[in-house]
Parts: sequence; C-alpha cells; structure tokens
Amino acid sequence: MTAYVALLDSGKREAAVEVRPLGPGLYEVTVGGRTRRVDAFQHDSGTVSLIVDSASYSVQLDERGTEVRVHLSDSLFPLEILDERRLRMRRSPRRFRVDGRQILTAPLPGRVVRILRRVGDPVREGEGVVVLEAMMMENDMRSPKDGKVVELFVEEGQAVEGGARLASVE
Amino acid sequence: MLVANRGEIAVRVIRTCREMGIGTVAVYSDADRGALHVRMADEAVHIGPSPSRDSYLVGSRILAAADRTGADAIHPGYGFLSERADFNRACRQAGIVFIGPLPESQEAMGVKTSARKRMSAAGVPVVPGSEEPFSDEKEARAFSDRIGYPVMLKAAAGGGGKGMKKCERGEDFAGLWQTAKRESMSAFGDDRLYIEKFLEKPRHVEIQVFADESGNTIHLGERECSVQRRHQKIVEESPSAVVDDELRDAMGRVAVDAARAVDYVGAGTVELLVDARRNFYFLEMNTRLQVEHPVTEMVTGLDLVRMQIEVAEGMPVLRQDRVERRGHAIEARVYAEDPGRNFLPTPGRITYLRVPGGPGIRDDSGVYAGWVVPHQYDPMISKLLAWAPTRDQAIDRLRRGLADYHVHGIASNTRYLRALLDHPVFRSGEYDTGFCATYAKDLLQKADPALEEVALVAAAVAAFRRDHERAEERAARVGMSRAAGSNWARQGRMRALRGGTP
Repeated sequence: MTAYVALLDSGKREAAVEVRPLGPGLYEVTVGGRTRRVDAFQHDSGTVSLIVDSASYSVQLDERGTEVRVHLSDSLFPLEILDERRLRMRRSPRRFRVDGRQILTAPLPGRVVRILRRVGDPVREGEGVVVLEAMMMENDMRSPKDGKVVELFVEEGQAVEGGARLASVE
Repeated sequence: MLVANRGEIAVRVIRTCREMGIGTVAVYSDADRGALHVRMADEAVHIGPSPSRDSYLVGSRILAAADRTGADAIHPGYGFLSERADFNRACRQAGIVFIGPLPESQEAMGVKTSARKRMSAAGVPVVPGSEEPFSDEKEARAFSDRIGYPVMLKAAAGGGGKGMKKCERGEDFAGLWQTAKRESMSAFGDDRLYIEKFLEKPRHVEIQVFADESGNTIHLGERECSVQRRHQKIVEESPSAVVDDELRDAMGRVAVDAARAVDYVGAGTVELLVDARRNFYFLEMNTRLQVEHPVTEMVTGLDLVRMQIEVAEGMPVLRQDRVERRGHAIEARVYAEDPGRNFLPTPGRITYLRVPGGPGIRDDSGVYAGWVVPHQYDPMISKLLAWAPTRDQAIDRLRRGLADYHVHGIASNTRYLRALLDHPVFRSGEYDTGFCATYAKDLLQKADPALEEVALVAAAVAAFRRDHERAEERAARVGMSRAAGSNWARQGRMRALRGGTP
C-alpha cells in the first residue's frame, strides 16, 4: 500500500489517497474514506482508461515531475501528488506564505519592455510591476501582495530567462 | 516556391505546393531548426537568429535564400513581410514572382490612413477617425478628446490586432499610446499610430476578394470574426448570423470596389465593421492571405493558396456566378496560453499531441509532439475547423473536435474554446466584438467538483505506477552492475531490455 497526498488549488487544499495493488492494472484506491476498485489501462503516454467500479472514464494526464494536470471531460484539475517522503521534504524548509519579502519571477522567457513601479513605490496585490513581452504580446507581471517594491533586478529592454528574478516586494 | 514564413501557414502553403507538384524551400531561424515547415519542405535555408527582426523580417536574407536555391516565386504567408511593399518590390526587381498584389496596391492599402482616405473618396463608408497618423502623442490625445472616448489606437502599418488598443478614458491615453507604439514597432518595424472612433457593439465581418491580372474581381462571401480577445480573433465562422443574401451582395460589391480602386491582384480581405443597425463601414484591407482563410475554403470548396498561385501564373479567376457556398464552417484558434493564468503564453516542449479527426474536421497545425514552442513568435499552434450543413451542427462538431484535441507539456486554450462554443450568447449568433470581455467569467469554467474524486484516483494510480517502475529499474541496475563491471556491457544489456531504444 502506498499513501499519497494530493495538493489542490495551488496547495490550499489537501486530499489523502491510498493505492493498493491487486493485480496487473487492478487497484484498490481509497479517497475520502471511500474505497473503490479501479481497473487502469494505459493507452499511450498521455491517456489512461479508468473503470472505477463500473463507470468508465478516459483521463488525460499531463505530468511534469510531481505536478500533474488531469483532464477529465470538460474539467481540468491541476494538482501535485506527493508521497510521504516528498511531502516531508516539502514541508520542512519553507512553507507557502505571502508575508515577508516576495520575489517576483518571470514565468517564461521574454524581454522586459517596461518598468511600472520603481524601488520604493507602493504596490497593491494584482497590480503590474513590470511588463514582459513574450510571444509578441505584452504581459503584466503582477505583485503577489500589497506592499512596496524593495528591489528591481532588471532594466527596460533586458532579455530574461524563464524563472529569472524581476523584483521583490515587501 | 520559397515560403517566407513559419508555423502553420508555412505548412499550409507547402501542402498545396506539394499537391501541385511545385518544389518548396523553407526558411528558418535558430529557434526553428526543428520546426515542422523545415521538415516538410524539399529544401531549407537558415536565415538568422531567433528574433524575427533578425530573420523572418529581413528581406535581403530571404532573397539571398531564394537566389541560392533558385526559387522563382515567394509566398509570404501572413504577418512578417507579407504586406511590405518594399519587400514585394525587391522580389520583382530580383526577377522573383511575389505571390500577392502589386507593391503599389499594398502601398495604397498599407498605410491604413491613406487607405481610409482613398476608400472614402471612392464612396466606401469609413469609420470616423484621423486622416493621418500622428507624429506626436499630444496631438493624438487632443484629437481623441475632441471626437470623444472610447477610441481605438491603431498601428498605421498594422493588422492582426498588434499595436491596437481600445482607450476608454483620457487618463489611460498616455500608457496605451506607448504600449501600442512598442507593439507596432516590434510587429511591423513601424510605430506610427492613428485614431479611430470606437463604434458601440460592432461586429467584425470581412469579405474575401480575389482578382486576376486582367482585372476580373470576385468575392467569396464573408467571415464573421467578432469573437476576439485583446483584438485577436479566436473563433471565425461563415456565414455570419447577421449577413443575409442582400447584405452579402452589398458588402461584396463594396469589397470588390475597394479592390478595384487599388488595381488589386490575388487574394485580399476587406475588413468591415457592422453596427447594431447593420450599417457597415470599411476598416482596412489586408493585402495577403488571411489566417482564417480555411473558413472560406470549407464553405466554397476552393483552395485559396492554389488560386493565388494560379493567378500569379496568369490564369483567370472563376466567375462570380460560379462561386457556390454550402453549409457552415467554423474555426477555432488553438493557442499556447493558459486561460487559468490570465492567458499567459506557455512556450515549451509539447510532450504529447493527439489531434482530432472524423467527419468534417480539419486541423491546420504547425507543431508536432516533441516540438518546443519558441517564445519568440506568436503563440498560435493550430487552427481547428469544422464544416457541417448547419451552424448548430458545425458548432457541435468543432466542440467534439476540441474535446479530442490533446496537447501536453504546455497549457492550451482548448477548454476555454469549448466553453465559448457552448455559451448561449455565442450559440444565439447575437454577439459582437465585446463578447469575450463581457462574458469572461462564464468562459473560465471551474472544474466539476463531482469529477474531483476520479481525478485524484487517476493521479494517484499514475504516481503509483511511476514510483513502482522506477523502483524496478533501480533494482535491475543494481543487479546488473553486480553481475558485470563493464559499463559497455551494462549499456548493451539495458538497451536490449528496453527494446532497442538508446
């Protein structure tokens, strides 16, 4: 038996899931105290046919490390799935928090075309701090919290890689 | 034929060339070495670094590629150099056929303000706005204050929604002016802007025109393009719910007049705005093939790229009374963007791709599984179309197709498009260019909570399998390294075990 914890809504909710193998492609899965018999058939790299009790589902899984986007009918469930070891590692050093200094990073590579807030400027949650041009469109990079811009790591015109630090807000 | 473009449109042009037995040359930047159009063409020439201003926008490099390969015609696709009269002229001077109108026609329509003036003089109704591009922000602001908000800021050299901003209030003017200027410079290499009055509840309807070298000019009916986000069309259909035969004839006549006024040759699109009372106004003419041209192909049964090439070879276009329209066609643009994160573009590797098939479905794509969508270019990865005898059936069919469209590794907008096609206002046909903004909340559907349990089961079973397989692989490796110390022998055995793949 393996116990997993799924993080939903960007880590705001958790759900415990237990998987017990019964045979090739057959499992007993417990979610929210209910145990179901699951027959899983892997069609190709992204598609899994699931028969849960007798209901049949075609599920698309888009996995990237522990992050997985589950496409099911018209719904999309972006979640993270961790076993106990990974959950412990995740929890010990840092927890998700918006107090203190927050670093704003570029979610994708691009070019900084405009700085909207200078060091020392107050900024509200959701307001743009810098404008990043990527794929021929301009995208506002927004502050994760109310506060003040304390550092700017980039200049107008600068090209940045995905994950690059743009500014910090406190 | 050298195809001076990339992505799905380059692939589209190559397909028709192949059908016609015409050899093709692709051009590519650093980022596009592995792109689908390079793979499909008979020859391919590298033309520079990834940013389009250093590659796809450099006419001299494209002409050098044509010279090197002996190409005698250039198809510019859309965007990039397709509406640049100077490039068009340079092609002709080099003795190369440019698949498009004469440079003079492009000049007349290219600077949007002079096109408006010209159309106005030819008796074609135009949206009120500035006669010239503004050299100065202050003047532009004063003009906008005078005609009253909302106004549209538009790129004089533009098209395709780039460098276009709607300004609701004078306070916002300065910021939008700068943004539009920058976008326009980066898309067209020209940052002149002009101002147009914003019409309330307008519909964007365009007419496809075609003309041959003898001046025979026809139209192939309309495309309804009012479903737009950030002035980018995302769903197009034909026929339009507001256009009946009478209005189609009237708009068609105006579009043909507009084309004739500039001695047009080849494929062109006359964009019109239709107001709530079904008055229509000239907006601009795009002097090239349009992104959404397959909509017209599906209702008329014609191949517009073939027609472009035939016209360039001096053949006549078909007669207006031979144009037949049948059924309903609808297109949705599949973008590499994440609707759940404010439509942020999502460049990156496509790890898995399965596209729909079945009756009445057409996928014009520029990507494949394993391709890394570059961050330097437009995020559109494909256009999915459906044809059916009626509008309702065509919408149902496209919806079904989108549900079968699976892109992994990067987020895409397919779920957003499905929600859009299902929206009662879209279904009614009574929508305008404000549709996406007005119903933004409805279109970002939440996940169905009833399915969450199944999603958790699926994710947990997949994680269990992955962990299990990894553990087995580790055990196998440990066992083998004990059995034989040689790295080569071990590698050889690993290969044999995995079925020969390195």
